[in-house]
Amino acid sequence: MATMTAHPETATAAAGRTDARAGKYLTFHLDSEEFGIRVLQVREIMGLQDITAVPQTPSHVKGVINLRGKVIPVLCLRTKFNLQPAPYTARTCIIVVQVRGEAGPLHVGIIVDAVSEVLNVTTAEIEDTPDFGGGLPTPYLLGMAKIKDKVKILLDIDEVVTPQEMSGLQSLAA
Amino acid sequence: MTDIRQKVDQLAMDAMLAQGEESVAALVAALAEIAVEAEKAGMTAVPALIEEMRATLAAQPNDADVFLNGIVRLQQAIEEGAQAPAPAAAQPAPREPAPAAPKLSALQLAADPELLGDFLVESRDHLANIESQLLTLEQDPANTDAIHTIFRGFHTIKGLAGFLEFPAIQAVSHEVETLLDKARNGEMAITPAVVDVVLEGADYVKTDIHRIELAAAGQPVSDPADNRALLGRIAACMAGAVPPAQPPQQPKEEAHGTEVPMPGPLAPEPEAKLEPKKASTLERVIKVDTNKLDFLVDMIGELVIAQSMVRHDGNLNSISNPKLQRNLSQLARITGEVQKTAMALRMVPIGQLFQRSVRLVRDLARKAGKKAELELFGEETELDRTIVADLADPLMHMIRNSVDHGLELPDVREKNGKNPVGRVTLKAYHQASHIVIEVSDNGRGLDRQKILAKARERGLIQEGAQLTDKEICNLIFEPGFSTADKVSDISGRGVGMDVVRKQIMKMRGRIDIESEPGKGATFYLKLPLTLAIIDGLVVGVGEERYIVPIYVLKEMFRPKADAVFTIEGRREMILVRGTLLPVTRLYRTFGVEPRTTDISQSVVVVAESGERHFCVMVDEVIGKQEVVIKSLGETFKHIQGVAGGAILGDGRVGLILDMDGLFGGSSNG
Repeated sequence: MATMTAHPETATAAAGRTDARAGKYLTFHLDSEEFGIRVLQVREIMGLQDITAVPQTPSHVKGVINLRGKVIPVLCLRTKFNLQPAPYTARTCIIVVQVRGEAGPLHVGIIVDAVSEVLNVTTAEIEDTPDFGGGLPTPYLLGMAKIKDKVKILLDIDEVVTPQEMSGLQSLAA
Repeated sequence: MTDIRQKVDQLAMDAMLAQGEESVAALVAALAEIAVEAEKAGMTAVPALIEEMRATLAAQPNDADVFLNGIVRLQQAIEEGAQAPAPAAAQPAPREPAPAAPKLSALQLAADPELLGDFLVESRDHLANIESQLLTLEQDPANTDAIHTIFRGFHTIKGLAGFLEFPAIQAVSHEVETLLDKARNGEMAITPAVVDVVLEGADYVKTDIHRIELAAAGQPVSDPADNRALLGRIAACMAGAVPPAQPPQQPKEEAHGTEVPMPGPLAPEPEAKLEPKKASTLERVIKVDTNKLDFLVDMIGELVIAQSMVRHDGNLNSISNPKLQRNLSQLARITGEVQKTAMALRMVPIGQLFQRSVRLVRDLARKAGKKAELELFGEETELDRTIVADLADPLMHMIRNSVDHGLELPDVREKNGKNPVGRVTLKAYHQASHIVIEVSDNGRGLDRQKILAKARERGLIQEGAQLTDKEICNLIFEPGFSTADKVSDISGRGVGMDVVRKQIMKMRGRIDIESEPGKGATFYLKLPLTLAIIDGLVVGVGEERYIVPIYVLKEMFRPKADAVFTIEGRREMILVRGTLLPVTRLYRTFGVEPRTTDISQSVVVVAESGERHFCVMVDEVIGKQEVVIKSLGETFKHIQGVAGGAILGDGRVGLILDMDGLFGGSSNG
């Protein structure tokens, strides 16, 4: 009964949002999972390069790199999602994404195991993130895309990579 | 009625002087204004005529002759209208709020934002020019070039304001213009009162432009400030016009010789002479978005790195082809040139900053009842525009100090056998990779006894402490220090020289004083040419590389084991020439894996943080390099001990150490 009453609400909410969620996604691998981020927010994909460590930052913040004369932060998505660390391979790369910053757009690099493809995800293929219980908020999960019997996790990269989050631990420590 | 007549006469004059399309366009705009007024005054013939003129002009644009013919007819029409009884003309004021008067205060901004933007920028340029010329004029009332320039400035503003329908600005600039025209025609002399009223007019326009800008940005604003009093003052100034006395009537201030270059008296055709010069400088300057400039500088930085990587490529170097080597050197040379040019793009002359002080000195001296003149040297000296912006406040404060505290009152000066007119000098010049700015006055100089007494009273120094002359002078930079007997509204408001020093130090500069009692004081500001580049010492810790800014670096050495002392088994000190300095182990602070934890195997860099010195332990010193400072962005702005990043020669990022943060951080933990 509870699900019945809840259903119309989520349905309308979903209908309102699905249009926004459908579109082109860049998919990549992390461990055995596959994720997607909006193509519009991807600036470029580059091979792994020397990263300069920055002190007093959370462990998933690997440091900074030189992106054509601009210094941008780089973070490791594996560490961020509490996945087992793995050695870098030839397929490991940095996706440079553009996210919302306090003072305008911000470029951030994220380290992923491998980039797969650009997918056009339709409204029909998107499902809401199931409730895992425990009341844990997962603001960065946009939803799940079921494509050819495989599930891809759609990420809201703006929520994954927030400036507060990157410097958050530091301000707690201070 | 007479008002309109005057305006038309004025317009006729303008038309005769008009050169080029712009001026005629401005005149046409002024016509529209007259039409509105004439309608108000009940002169129906005039608006009709004006309408006709505008139609003719639309067909034959920018023809000054057509315009002049029209004006003559207008003048006749007004003359005829004056014969007929026109009670309205007697009291134009009460008719002002008549419905015919369009509600112009409701800003018509939406029409053309681009045009409005141009108006704002252009008017500001003109106002700045007007201001500086006015001050020239004050020194040299016979300077017709200056009068012409000011006149043209107001004229253009009036035209544009008329076109965009800002009646308040238009009215004021019109009156000022009329006043100046009289001066221009030799009907009245430029007295300080005239300069004052014209300055007041410029200020009014400035305020109103600011108001318009706010309104354009969508902020609620009030109606234009009441300009009737000002208009009245201008009119009074005109009414009480004193015709110029015997030609070289030199005002008192002028007699003491200023550095203002005096053009030949009454150049025969100043307009013709000035106009092309002005146009050519304008053409040679373009305005560029700073983001574009920054991007260009970034890319050139990358180019330099790429070039250096190619140049030091092992495979390429093994090719012993003289042509290749020659081409590579050529590439290196060109890249270097390009980089230098890109850096020079950010440089602006300090002159504009100096110009602002001219007005300041004048106003301050007037307020304090002092006589002062300002001398400027090295206005063309260039420095980074960001420094110019940051320098404005401290510099203005120092000038304020010089006039307020430094210079004596005229009678005191005379009593001491000095010229009653005090002198403030601003000087700028390059010295190595720094710019030096001198602010000096020939006033009373620093009063050592007073400073000492004050310092004791404030508890800044111990009773009976022995200080060198320099140390005494430097006391004025201590927080909470001010020697002015009375707190004026100009200086001594709590912000003192300590704030100035702090700001200068923030720009990686330093400040020094030299002062001889009774003769004056000179402040020396030494600043880097740019904030974008620093000389750094690249040091290595483990795999990481850091940059120590050279300006905080005192010395470096490999310490001997017996010179290291530990306190409570934790804090370490090194004996450096008889002084114990605390040690910060960089690998510990930053959490990196070092190559050695043995201090006698490492290199110690002695750095300065504020007044204190301390040692930073690193693995090795790699070398000296000039680096471009890059912000780490908002993400990492709170990291203690890191001032920013820099792209190293191999394209990697190195962190620039912030010694204050490093030292502050390590002493806590």
